[in-house]
Amino acid sequence: MEKVMKKLSDSVLDKISMDFLRNQVLKNAYGNDDTRIARLDPRLLLVWYVFFGLVPWFTQDLVFLTGCFLLVAVTTVMAKVAGLVLFLFGVGVFSQTGYLFVVSLLFGGNTQTVLPLLVLTLKVATVSLASVTVFSGLDPDRLSNGLLWFGCPERLSFSISYAYRMLPMLMEEFQNVLLSFRLRGYAPQSSTVGGKVRYLIYQIKMIMQAFYPLMLNTAKRSRTTVEALEIKGYRYGAMNKEVRKMKLSALKITEKDLLFLAGSIIWIGLFVLLAEIL
Amino acid sequence: MNVIEIEDLTYTYPGALAPVLDHVTLEIEKGDFLAITGNNGCGKSTLCKLMNGLIPHFITGELSGQVRVQGRDTREMDIGSLAQKVGYVYQDFENQIVRPTVLDDASYACMNYAKKDYLERGREALRQCGLTGREKDYVWQLSGGQTHLLALAGAVSLQPDVLILDEPIAQLDPLHADKIYETLKELNEKYQKTIIVIEHHTEYIADYCRHVLLLKDGKVQWKLPASEALERVEELQQSNVYPPQVTLAAYALKKQKKLEEAAGLPSTVAAGKEWFQNISFHGQEPQRKAERACGETLVSFRNVSVSYRSVKGEPKRIFDAFDLDLHQGEKIALIGSNGAGKSTLMKLMTGILKPSAGEVLVGGMCTADVKPENLSSFVSLVCQNPEDMFIKDSIWEDIAFAMKTRNIENWKERTEQLLKRFRLSEISDRDGRLLSGGQMRRASLAIGVALQPEILLLDEPTANLDIATRKEIIKTLDDMKEITKTVMIATHDMQLVCQWADRILVLCQGKLLADGTANEIFGDRQITETAGIRPPEIFTMGQMLDPRAYCYTVQEFVQAFGGR
Repeated sequence: MEKVMKKLSDSVLDKISMDFLRNQVLKNAYGNDDTRIARLDPRLLLVWYVFFGLVPWFTQDLVFLTGCFLLVAVTTVMAKVAGLVLFLFGVGVFSQTGYLFVVSLLFGGNTQTVLPLLVLTLKVATVSLASVTVFSGLDPDRLSNGLLWFGCPERLSFSISYAYRMLPMLMEEFQNVLLSFRLRGYAPQSSTVGGKVRYLIYQIKMIMQAFYPLMLNTAKRSRTTVEALEIKGYRYGAMNKEVRKMKLSALKITEKDLLFLAGSIIWIGLFVLLAEIL
Repeated sequence: MNVIEIEDLTYTYPGALAPVLDHVTLEIEKGDFLAITGNNGCGKSTLCKLMNGLIPHFITGELSGQVRVQGRDTREMDIGSLAQKVGYVYQDFENQIVRPTVLDDASYACMNYAKKDYLERGREALRQCGLTGREKDYVWQLSGGQTHLLALAGAVSLQPDVLILDEPIAQLDPLHADKIYETLKELNEKYQKTIIVIEHHTEYIADYCRHVLLLKDGKVQWKLPASEALERVEELQQSNVYPPQVTLAAYALKKQKKLEEAAGLPSTVAAGKEWFQNISFHGQEPQRKAERACGETLVSFRNVSVSYRSVKGEPKRIFDAFDLDLHQGEKIALIGSNGAGKSTLMKLMTGILKPSAGEVLVGGMCTADVKPENLSSFVSLVCQNPEDMFIKDSIWEDIAFAMKTRNIENWKERTEQLLKRFRLSEISDRDGRLLSGGQMRRASLAIGVALQPEILLLDEPTANLDIATRKEIIKTLDDMKEITKTVMIATHDMQLVCQWADRILVLCQGKLLADGTANEIFGDRQITETAGIRPPEIFTMGQMLDPRAYCYTVQEFVQAFGGR
């Protein structure tokens, strides 16, 4: 029994290790570039997002909301979002409204108390899943191009795609710095419950302290990057209208995009109808 | 025709007291393959940044004299048009890659300069640099050598006439280093590019470069054809540049009054074959001690398997049923190409990485049951990148950190002692990141031995160092004998391996391909070829002259062939 418990606690600890987090973040950023969602035109997806990010707030209709929710749930599955993001989504929704919903069910709430809470939960869930689909399913580089098309400043769109390039490097460096902390630090004994709490505090402190060397190392790297950007003509490109046009000419609306749009519209239309009938 | 002309150039960095470059006059012919060499801080990088206009357009400072690129003064051109004439690849090349995917990065400059066919140009540059087929890959999927080629492709894409590379092979294993130089050679010969490299590795200068420029304290000493330049052994050594081992051996033999009549000095193994033809091997089979230090077993790997999570698809398996024993007092070198599993092996021993099957026993403790924190007074790991070891804002605090947290007696005195032993006392209050390469390494070694571990693990301790600093580190390793008896080094540096190790482990795709002495490893061609390792040049030279000769250092070579 003891062995089983140890195995269990080990595997839970393993799940929240830095390596696991790093892997999940990378998976989310780079691992799903071949899904149907990732290949859609970013402009279209942004418009799609504006709809599902705003409309749910202005309606109270349960049927319509359920329809929206089902649709974004399907797109989230299609986008192959990493497990960690979904988990965080679950925690987020539950801590916002979900727990109220469950509590009121348990303590004899009737439809009158439960229904509004269900509506609220659905709203939050729909909007969150729509964000997850767009911002996690879409390749950040394409996302930044989409934003650029809608007139976002060049600097923002460059920052997004540069962060996308730097992420694995930073994660690796952070892991190495943490490793230094771990190997040279001295962890409190964690056999008792009090010890476990202290151990957790110790780890959190370590993660916070590790940011300081990470920042300095990054600053050191950026000296070369700044010069390289200058040579590569970043400033020319940012100011030149011609370059902007060239960059955006890669964006094309294809049949697949239209199909996706049509599918979404028909589905939503169906539920609007259903809501009318019921 | 000269592609670059420099006339009486003197340059001082803003705020600096003395000029870095002092009355430099220089002409570089179109189509040349030039190596710039000299000691650290002699102004090599500064000179190159003057050629591509980063100075004075981006970095200011006091400048007199003239730099002309294709006849035009760099001060009158803007940085954009200069970038299309002179390409630059940094020493820390991975920081010059700014886009997430390969083709994106290679075509980025062309896009910014509004070339309509930017993707085509990017593809062409990738082709010229041997990266065809990797266009869609993410940059972090590339190996170190390929990343360098990508940085090169980014510069090539604008099709400049001149390419400048700052220490292109400092971080690479020999196979990747060859690839870089072969690519440069092709760019030079097939596409008529003028190539300028800052280089300490004289073996590569001998094989590839046409001219050598020696800089010393901001002044040009001379610019000579490569073979002639490398013969100037004394002048080079005064500037901390070490000629090829073959040249050094020939020089020593000549000094011993052997082979006085031979003309010049050879700089490559091929030239050496002819040059040394009149001397013979004096039959002393090298007295390398065969017996191993057979102390008690400190570490054992029992049937260990490890796999890494990968971003896409199945986890990647690094080790499968791996067995190994390490004993007290051994000096172990761990070699093998990039990605063979060297770093993984070391991480397993520190307990930071746990095997998915089997067990790793360190000093009798199974790493799976112990926290890495508790193992760290027994095993200590010095990372490949010293910056990752600096977690405090001065090296004094960094060295003291582990002892302080463990409340070790006299930790203050011991910190002072360590600083003294590693010659860091004077700079003890500086941030580790701001030190020079050699100082950084010494500091990281001091941090590594602070807890007086039984076993010290060093990951690439000599990577990225110029030869003089490298020698200094090897000396430091010898000094450390009193603190730590058992040391394991993972490295590509075969000269270090031959000089220092008494047991060599060859890893190849997660398997232990060979385990033995230098003679057993380097004498077996099958092993060296399978694992992609290359013995020091002098060993190859000796073998070519006489298969009985096992010489690992210039000194051994001179004794074996010159003695009597």
